[in-house]
Amino acid sequence: MLAFGVYAVMERSILRSAIGLALASASLAVMLYAMSARLAAVFELSVCSGLVTVIFIAGISLSHSPKMEVKKEYHDRERNRHLPLVLIAVGGTLVAAAMVLHFAQPQFAASAGQNVRDVLWNTRQADLWGQIALILCGGVAVAVLFREERRDK
Amino acid sequence: MNFVAILLTIGVLMIVTGCWCLLRTCHILKITIGIEIAMKAVTMFLVLAGMVCGKVALSETFVITVMVAEVIVAVVGTGTGVGLFRKYGNMNVRNLNQLKG
Repeated sequence: MLAFGVYAVMERSILRSAIGLALASASLAVMLYAMSARLAAVFELSVCSGLVTVIFIAGISLSHSPKMEVKKEYHDRERNRHLPLVLIAVGGTLVAAAMVLHFAQPQFAASAGQNVRDVLWNTRQADLWGQIALILCGGVAVAVLFREERRDK
Repeated sequence: MNFVAILLTIGVLMIVTGCWCLLRTCHILKITIGIEIAMKAVTMFLVLAGMVCGKVALSETFVITVMVAEVIVAVVGTGTGVGLFRKYGNMNVRNLNQLKG
């Protein structure tokens, strides 16, 4: 997941970045499935790996610009060339801090045996209203952003 | 280091990657991709917290909410990018400084 994320950031082509993000989402879905969060894994795979990639590719195809201009204008490779060094430094610092300071390392607890559907529909019903509000806000935002300007008669 | 500590380290590195992308890139679609990468780490942290507390079902409901927010962020970011492209011919976020209002 981390490798695909770094690839998505460092890649010069936006299309390949979007594909790298989709692969990062797919690997996260595999990880969630292994961590026995099955419903979240299915949502991650279908929504984040599928729908979000389609949205990005639609945006890219609506705004196609020649590759050389993108390369000249944004200098992504030059700007992001230090990212692996930064990640190695941060990762090394975290591992060294964990080994020197002897943090209490958390362990997995026994599952409470709750059903996701019960929790979602009964305990966390307010979240559903929040999701509906978010989707409506997103719909309004898309309608405003993609609105064609009125032509003067 | 146990499995939880390794996943925590990977999540922190993902957030650093997303923040680096936010800081170092001017292309609005790339910036949105950086936000998405950081949100992947948040999703992993939520499920990890659920597993440590023994409440995976509760964490899954939070994850679903985060995913909805993720999609809305992607849609709004892409829409803003397309709007920028229509107005200025590129997706450089520095062009947003020229907007009136």
